This record gives sequence, structure tokens and C-alpha cells, in this order.
Amino acid sequence: MRLLLPSLTALLLVSTAQAQDLTAEVAHSWTSGGEAAAVKVISDAFTARGGTWVDWSVAGFESANAAYISRLLAGDPPTAKTAVAGPEVTELIAQGLMNDIDTAFHAAVPDGVVPQVVLDAITMDGKVYMAPTGMHAGSWMFYSMPVFEKAGITEAPTSWDEFFAAMDKIKAAGLVPIAWGGQSWQEGIVFHAVVLSTIGAEAFTKLYKDSDLSVIDTPEFAEAVNVFGRMRDYVDAGAPGRNWNDATAMVIRDEAGVQLLSDFIKGEFTTAGETPGIDYGCALTPSTDSLIFLADAFTFPKTGNADEDKAQALLAEAVLDPRVQADFSALKGSLPIRTDVDTSGLDACAQTAIELVKQDKIVPDAAMTLSPAINGGFKDAVGAFFADPAMTSEAFIEQYKAAFANG
Amino acid sequence: MVDQSGARTTASPPGRSKVTGRLRLPVAAMAALTPAWLIILLVYLGTTVWTVQISLTKSRMLPSSEFAGLSQYQRLFGTARWSNSIENVLTFGVVYVLGAMVVGLLLAIAIDRRVRFESAWRTMFLYPYALSFIVTGLMWQWLMNPEIGIQATARAAGLGWFTFDWTTRSDMAIYAVALAGIWQSAGLVMVLMLAGLRGIDADLWRATRIEGIPMWRTYLTIVLPQLGPSVATAFMLLTMGAVRTFDLVVALTNGGPGQSTEVPAKFIMDSLFARQDLGLATAGATVMLFTVMAVTIPILYARDIWTRRQNGRL
Amino acid sequence: MRDPFPATARGQRPQRLTTARIGLYAFLLIAALFFLLPAYVMIVTSFKSMGEIRSAQIFSLPQMLDWSYWLEAWSSACAGVNCNGVSVGFWNSVKITVPATILSVLLGAVTGYALSFWKPPGSKLLFAAITIGGFIPLQIFLFPMVRATAALGLYNSLAGIVLVHVVFGLPLTTLLFRNYYAAIPVELFKAARVDGAGFWRIFYALMLPLSLPMLVVAGLMQMTGIWNDFLLGLVFAGRDNLPMTVQLNNIVTTTTGQREYNVHMAATVLTALVPLVAYFVSGRWFVRGITAGSVKG
Repeated sequence: MRLLLPSLTALLLVSTAQAQDLTAEVAHSWTSGGEAAAVKVISDAFTARGGTWVDWSVAGFESANAAYISRLLAGDPPTAKTAVAGPEVTELIAQGLMNDIDTAFHAAVPDGVVPQVVLDAITMDGKVYMAPTGMHAGSWMFYSMPVFEKAGITEAPTSWDEFFAAMDKIKAAGLVPIAWGGQSWQEGIVFHAVVLSTIGAEAFTKLYKDSDLSVIDTPEFAEAVNVFGRMRDYVDAGAPGRNWNDATAMVIRDEAGVQLLSDFIKGEFTTAGETPGIDYGCALTPSTDSLIFLADAFTFPKTGNADEDKAQALLAEAVLDPRVQADFSALKGSLPIRTDVDTSGLDACAQTAIELVKQDKIVPDAAMTLSPAINGGFKDAVGAFFADPAMTSEAFIEQYKAAFANG
Repeated sequence: MVDQSGARTTASPPGRSKVTGRLRLPVAAMAALTPAWLIILLVYLGTTVWTVQISLTKSRMLPSSEFAGLSQYQRLFGTARWSNSIENVLTFGVVYVLGAMVVGLLLAIAIDRRVRFESAWRTMFLYPYALSFIVTGLMWQWLMNPEIGIQATARAAGLGWFTFDWTTRSDMAIYAVALAGIWQSAGLVMVLMLAGLRGIDADLWRATRIEGIPMWRTYLTIVLPQLGPSVATAFMLLTMGAVRTFDLVVALTNGGPGQSTEVPAKFIMDSLFARQDLGLATAGATVMLFTVMAVTIPILYARDIWTRRQNGRL
Repeated sequence: MRDPFPATARGQRPQRLTTARIGLYAFLLIAALFFLLPAYVMIVTSFKSMGEIRSAQIFSLPQMLDWSYWLEAWSSACAGVNCNGVSVGFWNSVKITVPATILSVLLGAVTGYALSFWKPPGSKLLFAAITIGGFIPLQIFLFPMVRATAALGLYNSLAGIVLVHVVFGLPLTTLLFRNYYAAIPVELFKAARVDGAGFWRIFYALMLPLSLPMLVVAGLMQMTGIWNDFLLGLVFAGRDNLPMTVQLNNIVTTTTGQREYNVHMAATVLTALVPLVAYFVSGRWFVRGITAGSVKG
């Protein structure tokens, strides 16, 4: 281990120079529009508590990770870093590189207000290591009201049969049924939403949390593959490689009927001046009664500096503050992690989601339970399958399964 | 200047090796090469050793020393994406290198024919080299998107038969990436070639005209061979670029549709930083490195023998 | 004595406006169309509002010439909680690019010179290693280099990032200069040797002046590469020295956040202004440089 991890002395040497009193250097990738505004809520709350916020923002997951891991290796980690609450962080915790915030967490959050699945994700060996900022829900369907009207669709479809019937109507009306972002990470989100709808929450957790591969062999999973494959007939020729926001723009322009993706796309409707319930609607993906959620959290590397440890605790406190949770989520388009915050300021779509959170009808996204390598393998398989109509379901399922083994 | 000094020393034996061979060890030259040696040994060789070493471990997010044998290589070759990447980079490399060379050369020849506003033309063809591909890649993505790009515009203008949808087709997307690559690099080749063209003796042109040799043959049989060093430099630069191609693909297709435009450098980058799979990334890099060596060393060796033979004959 | 830097083109003398000439200009125009198309879309997009971008066609002209996105990109575009546009890192980029370019070009010149003319033992091996080094994706160097610079105490410093650029620039600059010197008649070098000049004197008094044009060429290429670098600057430069491209990346790159295309376009062009101006200003030398190199190609 001596070879691999920076020695403690190096840690001490580098970081003592950096921090006085309660300065926190915060690494995050939330640099655009609403994201940046949401970060500002946290930084303001932190500053109000007497901290000094030093922003170290790097957009783009790969670049941010490259820079962050480099700093860990050089023995110069930032005070805090945002991450998906899950395996991305567990290796660092296991290596003893992270501080826990157990005391600060329990001081800030009363028992029972954070859903158990979330708690599980941020806890390791009985200690809380992460301060979640909010969660995004991935099993959404956004649709254009005018397009539905034009195509004669009165209500959002609640089963896949209804869904495809509706898509046929849109097609017949000469419009694009599904606004598709043909990038494998987006397709992965859609596929998992479909999987949830056919196999149900319990099997979903069994598969992606406990890696019980027998679920993949069930007819329900095969049905998910089938439904997902059928969607190819309802996308336009320009779909491959399309950014999600360009897809959203098609719904905003009322050229396309629906977009299946996470709730983060709501911001795009809002900035375009659209009102939920009038210009666009939101619903869970057909035949689904739960949410797939992905929690973002602050994580806290060991810096070997007592002042920075205090700053970390203070930052955790700021992040977990109910007011901050509500304001952050309103700007970021996410859901608060606590069920006891005042969410009246959030929009109609979020209200639906909050009800589900309160009823514990949420399942963790595979990114929170399985390694990034396995998740990468999923994306490769899903992207390849959607792009190639000639690929059989069997071949796809085999490749999808291999992702588990190869990760 | 050049001719004069050449004439002054024609009596001495040709071939540089003999000159240095006569002298004591060139100490100053060795000292001057020390930084290069240090960089090669410490950084390039050091990194290579490190890479190979890590590829034999179970490293995930951070380097680890837990020995894993050749299992990372097993995983690597068991991944369809890796073999696809290799295939794609070969197709891409051939189209991109040849395309950029041909376009660059044609542009250079055209500009060299005493056109007006030469510097304006030159800058027009060179500017893509200066722009970050994050955004110019998006431009190409838009232009090649059949719904909003060139195809849509042409069809709206009444050319219903016009089709340009490479980025959306698995069998054609890699050519779309190559096209954008050519757009980015052809200007650089043009500048290198243009300079080479300018070095060709004016008398040569006069002679070929008097002899009545057609222009295309002049270029093909007389000019092109004279451009040797420029062609070699451009070829090397483009090939290195092709092997390392990464941001071009990310910005344009992100590897899709499916895996039709995945390339090894992107595979390595993804594994390194997004998938926290250092072991797999280093295994990929090792395979890439040894492939490059297996191709480059024989070529360099052959070239060396060839040069020596030429000198011997002189 | 022939002028080694002919300023004018040497193709066949132009005739009157023949079909061939028309064809030539037609070819250039079509090529220019191909090359300028992305730039055109970029520029028109940078003047459109997001609503207009969403609704209008990509080739359409903006409804009005609104410079506000350019202003925003330069001085107030947000990246995280800092809203200072791409201008923030401008001087850092200059501070990194100037020394890194000069040093790496000089190193390439000296190395190429020693490899071409002096060939001390091991030269071929060294050149082969440098060539192969040019094929390795930079990213794989990242972690070992981080360790190395940290051990040297250069991590997170201007000196560190300059060193990293010099190291990674070695294959390119060496290749350029070695090929350049290979084209210079060896007799020139031998004459200087006969006159009793040593290694450094020949380099300084003969080769450097002779390779002035190539210095410009290699300098421009290195400058473009270093100026546009983002990842190395991000990792090695330290927070106080972050180059402009880090800010550009923060503005332009996003996965799940909004994309303000108009500001992105403007920011990209603004970030590239320095290399673009350099091409413009040094265009003549750029071409002449390689010209002299291939005098005896």
C-alpha cells in the first residue's frame, strides 16, 4: 500500500498551507445555468455559517475525475467533492482516504427523514460518509400537450400498449413520436426505466443491488428488451448522437411527442418559458409505480488538517439543512433527500415524485449500486442494441450479462 | 549560400557518419541530448513500465499492487468494444491520413498557382486547427444530422434525392468522423506541402513546359517525389494524430451509433476516468503501445538501411 | 547566392483567364465553402437567442446582430459560482504558453540538430524512442506524471505545467527539426567544423539563424497545442494558474445541465483568438519557414 497511496506526511505538508479557519475548497461539476445557481445556494449557506468557499469546478465527468484522482495521488485533495452516492466513492472509503461525517450527519438530520435506501447508499461500516444534496429520478416521460392534442391523445399512456398506440397516432399525424437522444448514456436511462416497468421494483433491486442474474432470464426482462427495441420504429433519422437538450427542444417546438429521460430535463422546459400542465406534461414511464433515483452527494477526502475537518462538518451541515435542500432542488430540478422539508415551492412533476419518495416507492439507480465499469458495460450493450435492429434479443442479453462479469 | 558551401567541400568524403566518426566522442552533443534522454527514459519509458505493471494488477480507481496476472488482458479481448475500436481506428486512420494528405496537397497546389489573396485562402483552410473541437465537433454534428443539417437544407431546396446521413448510420459514421478530421487537419498539411512546393526549382517548371509535359504528369512524376521530406513529416504527424484520436470522436458521435465509431484512445480514456478501471485502461494502452512499436520499428529500421545504402552508392 | 526564402509562389506563370484558371478558382471556392461552413454556423448561432436557436434553421441569419453573448462569454459567463467568462484565465494561458513554447521549441531544435549532424552513440535508438513516444495517448501519462511532479515539488505550479508541456512536446518538435536539418546540406556543417567551430557555436551561429523559419513553424504548432490544452493545465497548473481553456470547458461542457449554444460559440471563438491572430500575423513566415527547410528536399 505504501507504493500506492501518498504518505501521510505528504498529505500534511501539502494541505496545511491551504486551509486557515473554515475554508473549504469544493470540487464539483455543476457549472451550467441552473446547476451553478443551485451550487450557489449551498455556498451561500456555507458562507453564512462562517465558512469560506473556494470553488474548484470542472465540467465533464471524465475531466473532473481525472483532475480529482490526480490530486488524491499527489496528496493534495480538495476539502469536498461531489459524486454519485455509491461505488464511485466506496473504493476511496475502503482505502481509508475519506473522512466520515457521521456525527455531523446525525446532528443535522433526525432519524427517519431520509429514506432507508438512500441511507444505505451513503453509509459504510455503520458510518455515514456522504452528505447527499438531492436526488434525480430517472423514470420520467415528458410530453408535448399540443402534440398529444393534435394526435388525438387525451391522456398520458399508462401501459406500453397504450404508449405504442399513442405513438402510432403521433406518427400518423406526421410528427416525430419519440424525441430520442441517441447517446448510450441516455439510452441506458431509458432502458432501465423500461426494465423497472416490466420486472417491478423488487426484481429491479434484486438484479441491480444484489447482482442476482437470474432476473435477466425471466420473461419479464425479455419483455423489457422487446419494448425497448420497438421504440426504434418511433424515432427520427436524426436521433443517433443527439444531445438530450436538442431532443428536448423538439418537444418544446411541438415537433415530437414524448421524451423519456430523467427529471433534469425539466430546466430546459422552464427556461423556454413552458408551463407544466399547459405546454408540456410529465408522467412516470408507462406501467411504472416507482422512481429510479440517483442521489448526488458531497464526499470528504482526508486532508490531514484539523481545520479542514471542521470545514467539512460545517459544509455537511449546510448541505443537509432543510431550507438548503428545498432551494437547491428547486434550482437543480432534483428532489430533496429529506422528506421533512417544505417542498411547496417545487413544481407539479416534483410533487408526484415526492409522494412516491414518502411512500418509499423508490429504487436506486444501477450507478448507485454497481461499479462504474459494470455500468459502462450496460451502456455499451444498450447503445449497440438500439443502433442495430438486426441484433437479436438473445445476443443483447448475453452482452448485457457479460457486463456484470466483465465489470 | 547553400550552393556555395556545397561546392566548397565537395572534396571531402560524403556521409555524415564519417565526419563524426573521425572525431572523438562528441561530448557536447551528448550533453545536449541529455534532456531528451532524461525525458525518454524517465517519462516515456518510466510510464511504459508503470503502464505494463499496472495492467497486471487489479487496479480500479486507484493504482493498486494486487497482482492479477493476465486477467485484464483477458477482459480486454473479451470486450466487443475493444475489437470494434481497433477495427474503427484502422478504417479511420487510412481515410483520415490519405484524405488529409490528398486534400492538403490539392489545396497547396491550387494556392501555389499564383492565386490572388493567397493569405486569405491559406487562413481559411488553416483556421480549424486553432479551434477547440468541443464546439466545432457540435457544428459537424449539426451539419451532418439529416433532420437539421445539409441534407435537410438541400431537400427543402427541392433536391429530394439528396442524402447525407453518415453520422446516423453504423456503416458510415466512421467516415463522417474522418471527414471532420480531414477538415481539421488538411490545412496543416497544406501549409507543409505548400512550403515544399515553393522549394522546387523554377527552372524545373520552365523545362517541363518546354518539353510539353502535361501538367498533371509534372505534378505526379516530378513534383511529388521532390516533396519527400514534407510528405514524410505530414504523414507522421497525421498518423500520430490518428492513433491518438479521441476528442474528435467524443465531440462528434461519442462512439456511436452503437459502437461504430469507438476508438482505442477513447476506450482508454473512458476506462481510465469514467469507468474507474485503471487495470483495463493500462492493458489497452499496453496493447496499443506494442502494436505501434511492432509497426514503427521495422519501418524505421528499413528506412535506416535504405538511407545508408543510398549514401554508400553516392 | 540564391535567396533561400523566396517570397512568391513558383508555380507556372499565370496565363489569362483561361478555363483552367476558372476551374482553379472554382476548386478553391468549393473548398472554402467546405472549410467555412462550420464557422458560418458557429458565427450565426453566436448571435441568436436560445429561443431563436431552438426554433430557427441552423443556416438562417440571426434576426439581429446582438453582441451580448460575446460580451457574456468574455466577461460574465458562469462556470460554477464564478461568473467571469473566459477572460479569467487569459493571462494564465499566456504565462503557460510563452515559456512552454519557447523551451519546447529550443529543446526540439537542439535535439534535432544533435541527432542530425552529430549522431553520438545511441542517436538512432533515441530517435526511434521519441518517434514511438509520439503515438502514446497523453492521458496514460497522467497519473505517473502527477506522482513525478509531486515528488519534484512542481505539482500545482507554473514550472510544473511548463515542464509537462515541454516533455509532451518533445516528439513533435524533434520530428520537425530533425526532418528540417536532414534537408540542410551536410557540407555546410562540415565547413563549419573545418573552421574549428564546436557544437554550441555551430548551433548558435549557423543552425539557429538558418532555422529561424522552422522556429516559427514549430513555435506556431506548439503554441496552438499548448494554448488549446485543457486537461494538462487542469491537472498540473494548480488553481492559481488555470488556463483559459479550463474556463471554456466549464462553460461549454455539460452532461445534464443547460447548453447555451450562443455563448458557447462565442466563447470558443474568443478562446481561439490568440492562435488565430498568430496564424494571420505569421502566415508569411509559416510558409517561408518550411520553404527553406526543403530547399534541397
